[in-house]
Amino acid sequence: MNPNDSVRVTTVVAVEPAEAFDLFTSDIDAWWRRGPRFRADGRRPSAMRFEPGIGGRLLEVYDAAGGDAFELGRVLDWEPPKRLRFEFRGRNFQPGEVTFVAVRFDPDPAGTLVTLEHSGWAALRLDHPVRHGAPEPAFIASMGGWWSELLGSLRRRAS
Amino acid sequence: MSALDATFAALADPTRRRVVEALRRGPRRAGELAETTQMTPPALSRHLRVLRTQGLVAEERIEHDARVRVYRLQRERFEELQAWLTEIEVFWTLQLGSFKTHAERRSRVKRA
Repeated sequence: MNPNDSVRVTTVVAVEPAEAFDLFTSDIDAWWRRGPRFRADGRRPSAMRFEPGIGGRLLEVYDAAGGDAFELGRVLDWEPPKRLRFEFRGRNFQPGEVTFVAVRFDPDPAGTLVTLEHSGWAALRLDHPVRHGAPEPAFIASMGGWWSELLGSLRRRAS
Repeated sequence: MSALDATFAALADPTRRRVVEALRRGPRRAGELAETTQMTPPALSRHLRVLRTQGLVAEERIEHDARVRVYRLQRERFEELQAWLTEIEVFWTLQLGSFKTHAERRSRVKRA
């Protein structure tokens, strides 16, 4: 039983924190997984991009020349090589609905301990019919579908 | 509204999260909960009603004294919430795994 609404995941990467921070942000498109399970519009080719610095945007870009992109959120903290915090929205979030991702890069004997914490789920007022105009909140429905599809694919691969 | 949405809505309030936190250690009387959360009994009673309506807690009478009622967490609803959070955890585990592979490969290429 977990009454908290945050998820924490860690990994150790065999590079120095400064390099880890740099690759996490400037190389995000190279490592951020592709397809509908991981990208807001996974059916279209896209490039993930972090605009450096506080206030910078985290974007999923479909057409850079035409300015066609989805903004996942803004950078809230940008403190290389230590930490990074940004907003994280799904495509079907209502205005004002947002969750938060905080990433720490701590020195570790084996390189860098990366700790990622995604929080804010409980604060989403997904139940509010006035704000959604629909009895079934789209976000949970589609995110739920998204995640269960992801889990299904994991299970298929594992079996 | 799905059951999961209701759980999130009920837990969006910090006082209700404190009540849940207290009940994780075992059933409690309303009076004990009011003390723990430093709420007036009427205010606490409103929060308990939300938690009860959403099926997160249940009210029970104690066997040997029908006048005493205690609140208890309803496990199923939290398991549902936990399942949702587990799915998000899987998402980020896959992403960080992918990041690790990429960072270490890039680093080797640079050093070579």
